[in-house]
Amino acid sequence: MGSHRSCIVLLAEAAGAGGGLVGGKAARLGSLIQAGFRVPRGFCITTRAYEHFIAEAGLRARIAMELGRKPLDAMRWEELWDAALRIRTAFLRAGIPDAIAGQIRRALADHIGDGAVAVRSSAPGEDSRQLSFAGLHESIVGVKGDRAVLDAVRAVWASLWSDAALLYRRELSLDPHRSRMAILVQAVELAECSGVAFNRDPRSPDADRVVIEAVPGPCALLVDGSVDPDRWTLERTSGALIEWRPGRRESDDGTPLLGAQDLAHLLDVLSRIETLFAWPPDVEWTGRSPDTVVLQARPITTSRPAADDERGWYLTLRPNLRRLSALADRVKGELIPALESEGARLASHDLAAYADAELAAALLERAESLRRWKDIYWDEFIPLAHGVRQLGRYYADAVRPDDPYEFVGLLKSADMLASRRNQAMAALAERLRGNAPLIQAVSDARAALADADPTMWRETLEPLRELPGGPGFLDAFDALAARFMDVMYGTERLLDRPDLLLHTLLELAEVAPRDARPAALNQDEARSELEERLFDAIGPARRDEAAEVLRIGRVSWRLRDDDNLLLSRVESQLTRAVAMALDRLRAAGRLRQEPRRTDDMVPALVKALTDPGAVLDLPVASPEDARVEILSQDTPRQLVGQPASPGLASGRVCRITAGADIGRFRAGNVLVCDAIQPMMTHLVPLAAAVVERRGGMLIHGAIIAREMGIPCVNGIARAVDQLRDGDVITVDGHLGIVTVGPPEFDLELA
Amino acid sequence: MRVPDEIAGEAAPEDGSGENLDRIIRRLIDGQLYGVLCTQGQGQPYGSLVAYAMTPDLESAVFATQKATRKYRLLSECAHVALLVDNRSALPDQLMDVEAVTATGRAFEVAAGPEFEQWSRLLTDRHPYLDTFVRSVSCALFRIDIARFFHVTRFQEVRQWVPTGPA
Repeated sequence: MGSHRSCIVLLAEAAGAGGGLVGGKAARLGSLIQAGFRVPRGFCITTRAYEHFIAEAGLRARIAMELGRKPLDAMRWEELWDAALRIRTAFLRAGIPDAIAGQIRRALADHIGDGAVAVRSSAPGEDSRQLSFAGLHESIVGVKGDRAVLDAVRAVWASLWSDAALLYRRELSLDPHRSRMAILVQAVELAECSGVAFNRDPRSPDADRVVIEAVPGPCALLVDGSVDPDRWTLERTSGALIEWRPGRRESDDGTPLLGAQDLAHLLDVLSRIETLFAWPPDVEWTGRSPDTVVLQARPITTSRPAADDERGWYLTLRPNLRRLSALADRVKGELIPALESEGARLASHDLAAYADAELAAALLERAESLRRWKDIYWDEFIPLAHGVRQLGRYYADAVRPDDPYEFVGLLKSADMLASRRNQAMAALAERLRGNAPLIQAVSDARAALADADPTMWRETLEPLRELPGGPGFLDAFDALAARFMDVMYGTERLLDRPDLLLHTLLELAEVAPRDARPAALNQDEARSELEERLFDAIGPARRDEAAEVLRIGRVSWRLRDDDNLLLSRVESQLTRAVAMALDRLRAAGRLRQEPRRTDDMVPALVKALTDPGAVLDLPVASPEDARVEILSQDTPRQLVGQPASPGLASGRVCRITAGADIGRFRAGNVLVCDAIQPMMTHLVPLAAAVVERRGGMLIHGAIIAREMGIPCVNGIARAVDQLRDGDVITVDGHLGIVTVGPPEFDLELA
Repeated sequence: MRVPDEIAGEAAPEDGSGENLDRIIRRLIDGQLYGVLCTQGQGQPYGSLVAYAMTPDLESAVFATQKATRKYRLLSECAHVALLVDNRSALPDQLMDVEAVTATGRAFEVAAGPEFEQWSRLLTDRHPYLDTFVRSVSCALFRIDIARFFHVTRFQEVRQWVPTGPA
């Protein structure tokens, strides 16, 4: 657009401007003003301003590159979140052209004044009769001052590309080359109560019912779920009360927030809006009768998502600060200690001494414990993981760093269980380093153990005690195994595979020791600097809030790693009991064929243990699928993923797809896997680089690689299929590219 | 049993269309009449825009050049060539959607005779206006035996396809 053209339309004139220019929300509010409804005064920043802004800032190509990195359907929600954060940071760092900023400032002065405003999204096409996209884009309430308003405008523009909007990109027809966003700036109306009202009951739209909800204070508290509302269900035609349910709120005497006059007035507002638009509305309102102000009106949508549509669930994984605070306290104070002691309790049981009936009871107890803890994992641990993302966005919004992931430097992994295990392994490798006789003996023992009965490993290692340094090594090895290795990797219980641990220790002993101290000191200094940057950017008035966001981010970061290991320890106790049951049945000749280990084999084992006459009916294990070497005319040369940890390194591929693969991993290999799990992060110090199928800047592998300065590219959809063991690859963690094959090769030969 | 992958279980589709690379290359080649022929000689690379045609199996391409040209001289000295074909003109501001394919191989002049008829027909079926040009005595017809293709999309996603299968 030419800078001389106005990008401001008064809200009172928005109805005539057209939804393409001011967006659907603003156009409807304009119609309501014309029809005589009370609506907070304000103005629209048109879609022309958005177009001018992104053209001047070069953001269109940036968005296209971000979203074109790989097919959007192949991006996990976490990758969409990452893309949205990068786009948001780019928007926040871009300057609003002077002509537009000047018009916004003038409109604020002329039409609103000094008070706080709400800066709301108003995208063309949102909230149609068929579809409602409430909450996908951002609205920021209580913004004061020109500068803060301009910042809020940028943030709302960026929310056209929010993670939520990207999840619903098809329904929104999102397209970097065509999508636009208008913005609504309105004065904030302060009233003693606010709420939402539906002129049909969204749960049963054919019934003659109206639903009204109210909370004390602003409507935002209801919309974001912070405050439980009073809820009325009324007969639409008569206005008669069907039901009133008081909200559960502290320091509330239980008196209904709305009186009969307020309810009658809201019914009248709803009815008149339905007449105006010819659709039953969902209205956000504030203030009592007769001064009720309409904040927003959109069609009620009743279509339910498909049963397999998980997108709504992802959107619940973004609890707000208040909820995250409570969740962090509960997870840290109650759940993690309880999970830890559950694992330790089950591990302490001597199953070998149990009679068959006792073993059957132990199986049931362990299966139930694991089920319960998995539920807690999904319901409470996973939502807490948002604490890290919240910190990331909070930091990026405040500091606007070059690198949107600069905030990762605020996190500290040293206290994690996995870090403590990795330190213990480094110390154990140090005992081997330079002790040639011990290395040889450990190497021999490792080879012997690979074929030995796993329960006899202590006996196999015992001769090491005769060697110089042997007793110390063995004692430390025992302690390490018991403390950290009683976990699962895939279907393998790592405690049953000491040969894998010995292999990794031998590899670690071969490479130069990593001197962690200077790096740790630098990290401490860098962490303090980043903290200061955050607090300076936020300002003293919001320092407490920033400190809480930081605390939750750190708790979330540590626990989301520990919880996997602790849950895996509980799972390992079930696996131990299953193995014991199978051993007994095998010894009794009741296990003719080796069964396939499945989640649901416990009832059959319990029956077999408690009823000697019972037929053991278990699915039989099939020979492990041989790995198919892909011989194709089509081979990858460059694979593109996310640049998850900077650096450039080449090495031979070693794919880790099962516990046994740990025993093949050599120092200097490139670790290629579906996703690095906390159970295997001890391999990362040996790796030249890391490549993962699972994408995300904040997943375990990405963060640990970044901490160790190892290049990592993740989010390569077919990494494990397309890369072959032994392939030489080059991992560019700066750009997120994996190049397959040696750098120089004959162009004419395949 | 597997420790639940955080927010996982939602196995993402492997990649975009799942279409075979040879079909993707075929479609790109079919949509473009011209490509950049890359030659070399005298320590210097050289590029020329040529009208080309390709066999359905993508094993060979054909183009014609006047003999009194730099590219003819360079081809006489060194048979190693590359042919770049892309669709950028259809997508001027959509870098991530642009596709390009580079075919590498060796170029051989096609001698007069039945073989010439076969290869020239392949070229003139696609470019009928070149009929007189191709049959001129001052023109030479070249066949490229393609060793492999490099297909690039999304700015830097590169896959390789070998027409005759892996060695």
